[in-house]
Amino acid sequence: MATEDKNPAGPEANEADGHGALGWGGEIGGLILIGLSIIFMIGGWQLGLGIPTRLGTGAFPFMTGAILAVLAVVICVGERRGDGIAERPDWLACGAICAALAVFALSTDRIGLVPGTFLTVIVASLPDKSLSFAGKAILGAAVAVACWGLFIEMLNLPFKPFVGF
Amino acid sequence: MDILASFGNGLLVVLQPNNLMYCFIGVFLGTFIGVLPGIGSMAAIAMILPITFYLEPTSALVMIAGVYYGAEYGGSTSSILMNVPGTPAASITAIDGYPLAKKGRAGVALFSTATASFGGGMIGMIVIAVLSPSLAKLALSFGPADYFAVILLGLIAASAVSNGGALKGIAMVVAGLMLGTIGIDLTTGDLRFTMGIPELRDGVHIVIVAMGLFGVTELIASIRASSGGKSTQTIDYNDFYPSREEWRSLIGPILRGGSIGSFIGALPGTGQTIAAAIAYAVEKRVSPLRDKFGTGVVPGVAVPEAANNSATQTAFIPTLTLGVPGSPPMAIVIGALMIYGITPGPRLLVEQPDMFWGLVASFLVGNIMLLILNVPLIGMWVRLLKIPYKYMYPTIIVLICMGVYSLNNNVFDIWLTLVIGAVGYVMRLFRFEPAPLLLGFVLGPMMEEQLRRTMLLSRGDPMVFLERPISATLLALTAGIIVFALYSTGRNRRNARAVEEKTQQEGTPS
Repeated sequence: MATEDKNPAGPEANEADGHGALGWGGEIGGLILIGLSIIFMIGGWQLGLGIPTRLGTGAFPFMTGAILAVLAVVICVGERRGDGIAERPDWLACGAICAALAVFALSTDRIGLVPGTFLTVIVASLPDKSLSFAGKAILGAAVAVACWGLFIEMLNLPFKPFVGF
Repeated sequence: MDILASFGNGLLVVLQPNNLMYCFIGVFLGTFIGVLPGIGSMAAIAMILPITFYLEPTSALVMIAGVYYGAEYGGSTSSILMNVPGTPAASITAIDGYPLAKKGRAGVALFSTATASFGGGMIGMIVIAVLSPSLAKLALSFGPADYFAVILLGLIAASAVSNGGALKGIAMVVAGLMLGTIGIDLTTGDLRFTMGIPELRDGVHIVIVAMGLFGVTELIASIRASSGGKSTQTIDYNDFYPSREEWRSLIGPILRGGSIGSFIGALPGTGQTIAAAIAYAVEKRVSPLRDKFGTGVVPGVAVPEAANNSATQTAFIPTLTLGVPGSPPMAIVIGALMIYGITPGPRLLVEQPDMFWGLVASFLVGNIMLLILNVPLIGMWVRLLKIPYKYMYPTIIVLICMGVYSLNNNVFDIWLTLVIGAVGYVMRLFRFEPAPLLLGFVLGPMMEEQLRRTMLLSRGDPMVFLERPISATLLALTAGIIVFALYSTGRNRRNARAVEEKTQQEGTPS
């Protein structure tokens, strides 16, 4: 991986054009695809390729895996010349949104929609420093009550507002 | 006459109170979501999709279409007022729209957008009504090899114009084809790549893929892009209508933009962004105001909007007559139709005429609604853009969770959305666009089925693809697109490198 500072304009310029923000080049995307293609090629082979007249269950995954492997290798080679990343990553936002989804998945069945939504909103809004914790709690409560009214009372969706309270 | 009679029947379908209501809800919600910066029509349709499963297929399709063109229209509002496009296609509108707003003429820009969208939409509707029946008739003679070739052409055409380059676009299509193989193989009944997880037996639901790739990924990307950004524009209703000269200058761009957009939208795999960009480029050459383009002129706003909206309508032509998406959001429409038990393709016009013509007529009704709604509601959208995004996005993530959870009342679907969203975000950072992956995911099972049929009928001889004139022509076109796209990508890279080297040389002190 290209960990060296490629841009002669310095590390700040690198960050701006996306090369240095992560410390590695864009070939990581190609490597993910190579991993995926290997999984599907092996899986396809094990499922059975069949014969040309009667293609087996694994034929299509194997063929697409093989095509992807070739494309991914070419992409990796191309990326070494340095396209870099498209935009500066926002890992804080990414982490908060993923954590919010996880909180919803963990809480909705266990404690109910209303507290689950409340916690989800608080976790999702964590990256925003301009909103105080009290503001986040008020927003969470407002969205939770709105969801209760809209999805349970009005649309009669099979959610439980509270579980174990 | 046949077309007029069929259109009349379609009008009766769409004017039924429930369809009218769903058309209105679709247009309104689509505009609402489209206005929000960074949330495009893909995310809008993905978020609405779970609701449509409770509706009649015709109502559902009318509502999805309303969301689609509503979101495409709404995208222009934030691009004009904040220079932050609500949808990718609206970035072209921002070129002249934002300078117009800075001149204090935001009202005129938004009014021209609404008028041009309506004009473009009507052109698109006429094209779909005239062209679809003939295309469907032609497609009835297609064999499995031809279908395989047309799907391949659609996938390659869509991926070759990807922002990250042709190679990455094609790689994402292939990754989508692979993702589509997860679950039971319908031909043999064998399980594929389910990893022993019972929830994956039926494959990955299209809503999960769309919500993950577009809802979650776009949301993550939009948080920083929209932070601190809120509209400071105000609309003066006294300066809302264009002057007489400006009215006159709107007609030509709307007709040209609408025509170009309807042609490009009808090509499989292309989308509104390309339509808007090409129409703007053409107008910049032919307009009497060409020298002022980019400084804030009304035709510069009208032409991409007309092209955008007409392409949105004509994208339904390949989607419904061939079963090949005319644009990435159409992949979701195809997925939705399959969930309703309807196979898009040439037989749809014969088997579901009410649905097809109801949809076409809904373009007329929906575009009138869009026009009536948005002239008085422009003030409301402006106020919406004044709400800080920090209050918006936590609410949107809850709506995504609710939509995904309500599919099967199972939290596994939310975990899967999380994984797809996170991977989608990382891939986006490396310029791997998610739209081709979704196209591949939707068309993968169809493509595999047609491949198997072709090989069975030809007794294992792959040369059949070159022996049939239709499939041979389509494959030659596909090969041409690949060669052209790779050449363009290489040329763009060389140009970018040359500019970079030149800048560095100029920046180095002698």
